Amino acid sequence: MKTNMPLTKPIRRFIAETERLLDTEITLLRKPEAPPGGTLLDVYTYKNLDKNIIIFPANYIGLLKDFVIAKQCTHLRVKGAAAKTGGYHVLSYTPDTVYTGIRQVYLDALKDEAKKDKKLPVNKLLGMLFILYRQFHEDINELPWNPIVNARIYHRMEQLRKTQLYILLKDGKADMDEMIDMEEIVPRRYFVLDKSMFYARDFYLAKTLPADKLMPVVNIPQMKKFDHLEVKEMLTTRWTHTAWYQSKVFGDNMLTIMEKHLAVDWGAEPTLEYYGNLYKVGVNLTNALLAYMTMKDWFIWEKPQHLLDAEQQAVTYEKAALRKIFGDLIEDQ
Amino acid sequence: MPVSEVPRILKRAEQYVKQTKFKEALALYDQAIRLEPKNPEGWSQRAGAKIEMERYAEAVTDCDQALLLNPNHSDAWARKALALSQLEQFVPALAAAIRATTLNANDATAWYVKGICLEETGKSEEAEIAYAKSLELEILLDIKAEKDRVGR
Repeated sequence: MKTNMPLTKPIRRFIAETERLLDTEITLLRKPEAPPGGTLLDVYTYKNLDKNIIIFPANYIGLLKDFVIAKQCTHLRVKGAAAKTGGYHVLSYTPDTVYTGIRQVYLDALKDEAKKDKKLPVNKLLGMLFILYRQFHEDINELPWNPIVNARIYHRMEQLRKTQLYILLKDGKADMDEMIDMEEIVPRRYFVLDKSMFYARDFYLAKTLPADKLMPVVNIPQMKKFDHLEVKEMLTTRWTHTAWYQSKVFGDNMLTIMEKHLAVDWGAEPTLEYYGNLYKVGVNLTNALLAYMTMKDWFIWEKPQHLLDAEQQAVTYEKAALRKIFGDLIEDQ
Repeated sequence: MPVSEVPRILKRAEQYVKQTKFKEALALYDQAIRLEPKNPEGWSQRAGAKIEMERYAEAVTDCDQALLLNPNHSDAWARKALALSQLEQFVPALAAAIRATTLNANDATAWYVKGICLEETGKSEEAEIAYAKSLELEILLDIKAEKDRVGR
């Protein structure tokens, strides 16, 4: 481990244990511009790196920093164990999967647009297709790992529980705010599915941690009206037509999927086999959520380098997919 | 250069530290100390830069110099605590952290270092309290940083 910052004993032990387990090195870096959840640059994703780097915001000086390190180290263990025991893959995309995805978004958008008085300008509609596709790609590549990592930390690092609760409450609010300003533009189905994923994650964590404050119906302002309501009452109110009510219904179904897949011994001893198994659990959960959202063909499991290459080609993929859908109606920019 | 320039020099040095340009910062701190050796701020801030450069023993010396000039300089106590804890001298580091948190109860880092020192010296229950205080302050700072970010 390479760092010049003070760390609590359990965190130092945790980092050292991670390095031993994966036979690798970890460096900690403070950066003012780092995202609140920190960033992990790992040797399993970036082949040119010779050590793993955990970057966290410069204003995280104490336990907030420790939690980010614990979270990124746990994720690193999952990735490393997968790489060492059978292969580490991520969800990536190809020109074909991009076409499948944005074609579906387009068809759903058309259905929504038909019901609207104020139509979305065509250029905005076309621009939204790939943005939405990538948003789901980003979310589904991250979201299933979040409950896994958090449940593990909760059971193995007691001293971080209060910090964890604060960060999760903050994350929950931020994730629920995502897309809010686009609610009128984004097809309802995608707005609802996006919110449902986060609702299910927060609900799962609220039950697993256990922390009532994390319940979406407590933590998320738009969901508060659904607290303490009976199903019958919910079904007979005007809320049944709102995106937030629908998010709750879909989210409850996703919660069932999560609970089914995340039946794991969270307190087990840290071994490569254990973390390798957590990786498989994450992959299965991801596949189940994609199937539920009927997005099975939107992405493919590939080596991390495949995704890095795809990101480089994203604009080309988007153009090719739009041309395939609209033919000569699309002009090159 | 007149002594009145020192605050400006210290500000520039602080900017360099934020940009992780420690050598440049150190040169400015040296200049500030030469111009006004009896100003504890220069010594204390130079200690901060030296901590970033992992020159912990030198940082302790700078803190001691600042504390000779002003025994109630809370930042100097906090930096001394941090440097000593990095040198794994947890008993004197704890004493310094206690002074730092007494003089400035709103220093999240000082509370965190105090927690580390208490933990390392086998006082886990007291460490918990120090960590809780540190977290409370850190959360307030985080909320403020978030508000600033949204406001920008």
